[in-house]
Amino acid sequence: MIKTGTVCKLLMFLFIVCILTGCWDKQELEDKAYVIGLGIDHSNHKGKIKVTMLLANPEVGSMQGGGGSTEKPREIITFEANDFIAAKGTANAIISRTISYELLKIFVVSEEYAKNPNFIKTFSDIQMDKEIRLDSHLAVSKENASEFFLKNKPKMETRPHKYFQYMVNHGIENGLIPDSTLFRFFNTTYRKTELFLAMFISAEKDKNPKEHREDEYMAGQVNATGELDDTQFIGSAVFRNGMMIGKLNGQETRMVNILDDTTNIKDILIDLPDPFSNKKKQLAARILKTKSNKVKMNVKSARLKVDITVPLKLEIMSNPSMIDIAKKRNQQIIKSQVTNHLKKVNEKFFKKTQTKLKGVPFPLSMYARRYFGTIQEYKKFDWQKSYLNADIRVHPSIQIIDYGKQTKALKR
Amino acid sequence: MMKKPSIKMLFEKNKSEPQFVEKSNVKDIELKKQDISSSYDKNLATFKSIFSVPKNTDVKVREFTIRALNRRAFIIFISTMVEVERIQESIVKPLLENELSTGEIRDIVSYPIEKTATVIGEITEFITGGMTALFIDGDIQSHLFETTNLTGRSIEKSDNEVIVKGAKEAFNERVIDNIALLRKKIKNENLIVDSQVISKRSRNDVFLVYQKDLANDEILQTIKDKLTSIDIDRILDLSILEQYLEERPRSLFPTILYTERPDRAASFIEEGHIVILMSNSPSCLILPTTFWSLMHSPEDHYLRAPYGNFIRLLRLFAFLVAVFASAFYIAITNYHVGMIPPDLLMAFAGTRERVPFPSVIEIFMMEIAFELIREAGLRVPTPIGPTIGIVGALILGQAAVQANIISPIVIIVIALSGLSSFIISDLSINFAIRMTRLLFICSAGLLGVYGLIALCMVFLFYLVSLNSFGTPYLAPMTPHFLSSKDLIIRHLPIKERFRPGYLKPKDMVKQRKE
Amino acid sequence: MKQQVGKLGLREYISIAILMVGAKATEDTPTILFNKVHNSSWMLPILSAGIFFIPLYLLLKIMTLYKDKDLFSVIQKLLGKYLGFIVCLLIFLISSYAISFDSRSYSNIIRTFYFTTTPNLIIYALLMVVCTYGARKGIQHIGSVAYLVIYLSVFSLWFALMLSMQQSTIQSIFPIWGPGKLEILNQSSQKVTLFAEFFLFTMFIPYLPSIKEYKKGTWFAFVYVSIQISAAIFIYICLFDIGMGGVGYPFHTAIRFISFGTFLPNVEIIFFITWLMSVFIRFTAFLYLNSLMFGRLFKIKDIEYIIPSLATIYLLIGSIPEAAVNVSTEFRALSLTIAGPTFAAISIILWLSALLKGEFKRDKNRNSM
Repeated sequence: MIKTGTVCKLLMFLFIVCILTGCWDKQELEDKAYVIGLGIDHSNHKGKIKVTMLLANPEVGSMQGGGGSTEKPREIITFEANDFIAAKGTANAIISRTISYELLKIFVVSEEYAKNPNFIKTFSDIQMDKEIRLDSHLAVSKENASEFFLKNKPKMETRPHKYFQYMVNHGIENGLIPDSTLFRFFNTTYRKTELFLAMFISAEKDKNPKEHREDEYMAGQVNATGELDDTQFIGSAVFRNGMMIGKLNGQETRMVNILDDTTNIKDILIDLPDPFSNKKKQLAARILKTKSNKVKMNVKSARLKVDITVPLKLEIMSNPSMIDIAKKRNQQIIKSQVTNHLKKVNEKFFKKTQTKLKGVPFPLSMYARRYFGTIQEYKKFDWQKSYLNADIRVHPSIQIIDYGKQTKALKR
Repeated sequence: MMKKPSIKMLFEKNKSEPQFVEKSNVKDIELKKQDISSSYDKNLATFKSIFSVPKNTDVKVREFTIRALNRRAFIIFISTMVEVERIQESIVKPLLENELSTGEIRDIVSYPIEKTATVIGEITEFITGGMTALFIDGDIQSHLFETTNLTGRSIEKSDNEVIVKGAKEAFNERVIDNIALLRKKIKNENLIVDSQVISKRSRNDVFLVYQKDLANDEILQTIKDKLTSIDIDRILDLSILEQYLEERPRSLFPTILYTERPDRAASFIEEGHIVILMSNSPSCLILPTTFWSLMHSPEDHYLRAPYGNFIRLLRLFAFLVAVFASAFYIAITNYHVGMIPPDLLMAFAGTRERVPFPSVIEIFMMEIAFELIREAGLRVPTPIGPTIGIVGALILGQAAVQANIISPIVIIVIALSGLSSFIISDLSINFAIRMTRLLFICSAGLLGVYGLIALCMVFLFYLVSLNSFGTPYLAPMTPHFLSSKDLIIRHLPIKERFRPGYLKPKDMVKQRKE
Repeated sequence: MKQQVGKLGLREYISIAILMVGAKATEDTPTILFNKVHNSSWMLPILSAGIFFIPLYLLLKIMTLYKDKDLFSVIQKLLGKYLGFIVCLLIFLISSYAISFDSRSYSNIIRTFYFTTTPNLIIYALLMVVCTYGARKGIQHIGSVAYLVIYLSVFSLWFALMLSMQQSTIQSIFPIWGPGKLEILNQSSQKVTLFAEFFLFTMFIPYLPSIKEYKKGTWFAFVYVSIQISAAIFIYICLFDIGMGGVGYPFHTAIRFISFGTFLPNVEIIFFITWLMSVFIRFTAFLYLNSLMFGRLFKIKDIEYIIPSLATIYLLIGSIPEAAVNVSTEFRALSLTIAGPTFAAISIILWLSALLKGEFKRDKNRNSM
């Protein structure tokens, strides 16, 4: 008994020594400063980048009653650094708490730096860091990232993490911006067979924006007035092998999102040309995509042939020509017109990607893989080259499930 | 190796027990082994000295002459333990007044003679048990009458294991009533009430109650051996006996079920368990016990199957919350911040900013405060009981938060885990939960989720290795035994056809399908 | 119904087997496989299982001859005292090597993903301490805890895989034959180490109620585990596509990525908990297995006393590699290529010697008599 007692006491002693050496990873959560957004800009110094950190102040907006604080909801710092991992240390010269990337929601890269070939080198550091999650998003800003964060002053969501969460989620649901998670970024970059789309954002409104047709805007071009924040999330920046090469506007981005089965878009509201008027009027419709595309390819022939069947469900929401929509004939006209329109627009878009962008902006190459037995054969086929002069046909298969609440229009 | 002797010296203590100068009672023991004599005077003197009459005020000795036999006699009894009126009515009066000379005491006395005895020690035992002893001049044996009339509570409602649906009566301090309660529920001649005297000095009776045709003989024998091997002069209560019986008295987890509900005891007897009753204890012990029977409540079976299972699952959830909530809070706020949803994280960080203590200290402070309120609420006299609740809730909840000593999140966590711990009704397992909780908080504070799971695995290994009278603690889940699968959820009563296999009952199937 | 004391029940045995072998889907094995045969690596577990089936079947046939005898006594009986001893020693050394670096690799995972600044030794030591405590409780209790944990860990693994499926594209598995059919077959014969533990499990035979139960459990676990590993790799491929080659520990990268609705974006801790539990069981059982072998080898009855010292030795061996990367590329790769083929060869040698000695005939005679 005495012996076991002694052993127990020795163990206790060891245990206490263990406690004294410290709890290594332990850190109180209020002891950290949470970076919500990280901006990367080109620096004039060679080999360096300009890092902007958007830090959230947890004290603002979290207390219900009981002495709300007068502090600002966020803090923004910009400084030169070699990379954004070691920048955590440098930032502590300015910020009182330990910098943490646990809540990092969005990476903002300036358009200028995204076109720089050095960008991918800097950016791939993300994979080494243990705090950054691959479900944060990548965005390209028209202006410098540091300016973007400074100018972005949301009116409704004072807490920055909430603002970016809502902005990004609803943007993706509406299809106006791509779902540009880091996970997709790296997957696309590894595959090298397609282009990656990053969301295009801006906090600066163009001086005299032109009027476009519905959604054919880029960020900064939407002419909105009122008491608001000028930040806009619309359109996308196109990356090839980790370097930005072009832009797509809101409508094109949405088209990609509809064609791409790997993004989760919700129902999308769009305008379609009204078949009953002289092309001036537009028909509002809600597009639902519940089934996946059917893609057929002919890889054996000299020229790659691609047939994409896009199953869509449509709800007609408006009736600008005031026709009697209950009539079978009118319904058929709408259906064929919409199908034709979508086919035309999509095929035009594919033409653009083949000629201008020289690549497909969504993982279409995945469908080609199944026609090959081994990796060697597939490599020999060389998707990138074959795509450029491929014959692509889009077959929208439209199903109109609803013609609106009121079928009979008002008498003229 | 060098260290060993010095450390040993450091912890060296007096190994041997201190020696006491004790008064020898060999004489008394010798006396008690003798038979009574036929001499009236000698007997009178012996018993007067044994019971210290007249110093002992409630021991009554009454001398008289039996008219029928024309012999001198005396009766001796302890007046506080007997029904004096009945002695007067049916023993003394017939003896004094009956004139028929039959020579047989049982023909004179209308009181049923319990037995006759000759050894002094034995007679003494009976008298202390509340019997009345009659000594007759010239007779070498004493007649004993069962006149015991102990006072005590009547059968009342169960206080500590409250249920809504089902029988309400509870055991009381009179073991006779307790046995009657069990007999009332199991009307079967195979129900055996086996009595055994354990302690030497205060001579407590222990009753083993079981079904002869169900209970496993091996388990029964182990329990009996264990009972006889207890060498102690007194055991006041069943709860103390429980500690003598347990295999690991230092263990955090109980291996014997202690209940005050006769319906619960009866249902266990019907499954082949063995129940121990003891005089002066308003409860019974059920053995062998598994972890599951400690977690269950009789109400699970009284309620309809869906409702019963609902409260079972609720209890399981409460068990997990009570054990892990505080520790998990510590682990994720100190180590795995990324896990918390951003909104919540911001709220946590915002409220924690002004609190001076680390969150482990904070949790410990509140845990201790909660235990204080709980213990105080239990001990405080009933009239001022509600004040404790008010003081606890107001001072510790509201004021501590306003004074920035505790963050409100911690109050929520502690309240949740405290509330959950009340749902497990068994007192022992309740304590086990409350104490393991503290250990888990320590481990989570040291190494986050990793420490928490490491300790949890150690506990699992420990739990699995426990056993109660040869029954593995987590049986019949693992190791597997045939049973009615009454574990996490229960099945319809009609489906519960088997008695638990770990008891190795003589009759496995409850009701055979014809 | 009649449970003998100290015996391992069937379901407990299956739980140990699944947890020990199935855990391979959650470490760096998928990546190692992927780097060999790319997107058809999901076929490897099933093919390896098919290949390993033959030696395992032969081995079990021999074990049936000697009822209630464990592997080592059968080896010594068939191969003679000295040769048998050397073979047993070889098996023990291989599995000691495996446990040392496997355990190190797991503590690396814990450190890399969840405790970045904690010294590896602390994590590693705690893992070994808990496993020692568990192993000292004996095989029956290890089995019981394994059974308590199995549902949770299997369910959470499948749940995690299901959540990962939402983000994945099934086309990633094409081209279906990856680098070519021959290469796949070639690699799968080398990767039979995936199921090497089943060879070692024959040490448990005396603890099971009967050899029949043992066989039933082994085949069930064997089939299930090969499906589980294969399905897991399949889903990792769909999720990461070509990028998987660079992902060190796909399971942990995946659970960091997947989310459970928008409110609970980061749920890795939930999966980490159940994963940790199965890790503890895995090494507890492994440690017990090794001490059992050690005990049989040197005729030690009370193996509880050698468990702590063995655990310490493994801890020290496991601490040799400096960085986490070395463990999986240098040290584990070796055991991954050696163990399986060696064990398969030993089983076939055993079967051949049994055939030559005429053990099967004798058994037949015994049955006919």
